[in-house]
Amino acid sequence: MDNTITSQQMNPFDKLLDKLCLTPVGLLGLVLLFALPYIPPFNQEYMLRWLIYCGFIAAMSVGFDLTAGYISIVNFGYAAVSGFGGYTSALLVINMGLSPWLAMAAGGITAGFMGLIIGMISLRLRGIFAACLSWFFGLAIMGLATKMVWLTRGPLGLRTPRLFETDSNAPFYFLMVILLFLIYLACKLIVRSKMGLAFQAIGQNMDAARASGINPVYYRVFNFTVSCAIAGILGGFYAHFYGILTPDVMHTSKTVEVLAVAYIGGRGSLWGGAVIAFPFIFIMEIVRSTLSNLPGLNLVIYSLVLILVMIYYPGGFSYFYDTHIRKPKNKVLRYFLNGRK
Amino acid sequence: MSNNIVSKFLNWMKSAAGFSITATIVIAVLASIASGPYLLVNTIVTGGMLALVATGLTLMLGVLNIAMFAHGEFFMIGSLTAYYVFTPISNYIGENPESFIAVIGPLIAMAGAAIVGAISGIVAEKLVFGPLRKRSTDNWVMNSFLLTVGLSMLLINLHQLIFGADFKGIVGYWTGMPVSIADVFISRDRAMAFVIAVIVVSLFWFFMTYTRTGMAIRAVSQDITGAQIVGIDIEKIVLLTISLACALSAVAGGSLLFMYPSYPTVGLEPLYLAWFVVILSGLGNILGAVAGAFMVALLKVITVEYIGAGWDFVVPSALIMLILIFKPSGIFGSDVRGALDK
Repeated sequence: MDNTITSQQMNPFDKLLDKLCLTPVGLLGLVLLFALPYIPPFNQEYMLRWLIYCGFIAAMSVGFDLTAGYISIVNFGYAAVSGFGGYTSALLVINMGLSPWLAMAAGGITAGFMGLIIGMISLRLRGIFAACLSWFFGLAIMGLATKMVWLTRGPLGLRTPRLFETDSNAPFYFLMVILLFLIYLACKLIVRSKMGLAFQAIGQNMDAARASGINPVYYRVFNFTVSCAIAGILGGFYAHFYGILTPDVMHTSKTVEVLAVAYIGGRGSLWGGAVIAFPFIFIMEIVRSTLSNLPGLNLVIYSLVLILVMIYYPGGFSYFYDTHIRKPKNKVLRYFLNGRK
Repeated sequence: MSNNIVSKFLNWMKSAAGFSITATIVIAVLASIASGPYLLVNTIVTGGMLALVATGLTLMLGVLNIAMFAHGEFFMIGSLTAYYVFTPISNYIGENPESFIAVIGPLIAMAGAAIVGAISGIVAEKLVFGPLRKRSTDNWVMNSFLLTVGLSMLLINLHQLIFGADFKGIVGYWTGMPVSIADVFISRDRAMAFVIAVIVVSLFWFFMTYTRTGMAIRAVSQDITGAQIVGIDIEKIVLLTISLACALSAVAGGSLLFMYPSYPTVGLEPLYLAWFVVILSGLGNILGAVAGAFMVALLKVITVEYIGAGWDFVVPSALIMLILIFKPSGIFGSDVRGALDK
């Protein structure tokens, strides 16, 4: 494939794919995700429930990667921000009678506002200090959610109305896949624009970026806001899917779960975490449910994989894909994997 | 001459360190006058143990540049070891209450905790940090931090897998009447826990200040290249530091077994508090960490007393966030931060 093909020469299908930030193989994956509830082993309700959880973690890892992979700041309070969005949404529905759909959006907006605050107060800090600050922020939010019993019922959990009035999980699953795709698209469009370049510059070398005229304040705060707003919307989805919300969703271990998937998938790729979450989390859920006499085994495997990837293959799955799979000799296969770029 | 000392003292008072230490002491005294001396006792016992965990954490930061997230898990390892060492001992004591083991048994359990902690630290270095150090090209601080996150999760779940998630605790180490100081009754275990913390921290401080090995460790924390030039074996220092830091945390876990029974996530609370201490006092500052430990302990005790249990994460973390925003190098400052700030 020649890189000199301009967008005028592309056929409409390729143009559309390019607009949607997908490659043919990505489109196939998306179609597969939509078809999954009709394929025999996956058409059972409990499997769908797992798949929804996979999708949730996948979407979270995309939002997380926008911060961790591009501006190199690990937002350790990510799950807490997501839980904050979830609580906002749930409380709006319960106390004000808002429709869950609007409340989810409101959860996203408030969580985005939270991200704005984290972004602003962590401006002076770099690397590990910013991670610590967001971590403490998350701890504080979680402590508030646990202690404000009159509002959140604390550890007892808040019963929330579900988005769809059915017992079936299928509509939730389709909504999750659509959300995942929209989140991916939004992040990818941001990253593909001039802004993405600025993010990367800030992530690699803040001083050099500043010297070349990039205003780190604006870009860092913007990045945090978008990433946290995504977390808030997903938190709202979580609240209105499971129907019960406890402060546990804000726990640091949830952030670690998202972080592990994002890193195993590959930092700075956006799609890596989303792709890896489905098989990985799904296998973990199988391990958890079949070997229930060995509690914690799935998390042991989980953390072992994270440690091994961090040490021996820090690029993660997306690096592996880019170096070994992406450039085959066969022209058709090559088009299939890369699209017409 | 005395004038000189007074002016020096006044200057020190004006610095952030002097101000905060004085404020801590004043608040502690006022609070214990208002609500009773048990506040002061609680602060001192919690602070002593927190000092052990936090010095280990700050040592790891200063010397190895590892922002340890798994430090609480070594606390957990310590308490687990102490539990398994002390259970047969306490059975034996139950049969022969007069024997000499009744006095020395708990100390054996704590020593066991320290040894196992040190060994597990070395294992962690050999299996996890060593390989990363060989391969890591850039961004070591962040990568090692994330690695310790994985390690923490691994150890918590291994505990759950092997030993189960139930509480493994003991009734108490030393039986007998509580010690009474100024009308306050302190259980013997608490008093001993504080004594042990004081002894271990002062031994550790002595070791770091006056022995050649301690000086070598400090030299490495200041400048690795310089230390290498004067012939310090970095590999050995790294191993020694990591085992010391983990042993300190494990001793804290072992000697607090009567308060914190061993269960998979027991290490999270000491970890959070130790991180508060480290941020408060500045990374890599050992004496600062000791002072900071008492401040955080006081803050926690006062929060629990006046605002309510459970708020002891909200208030300290809000305060630590303020510190991070306005004085990121901590109130005692430190030179080590430059190395971490990459």
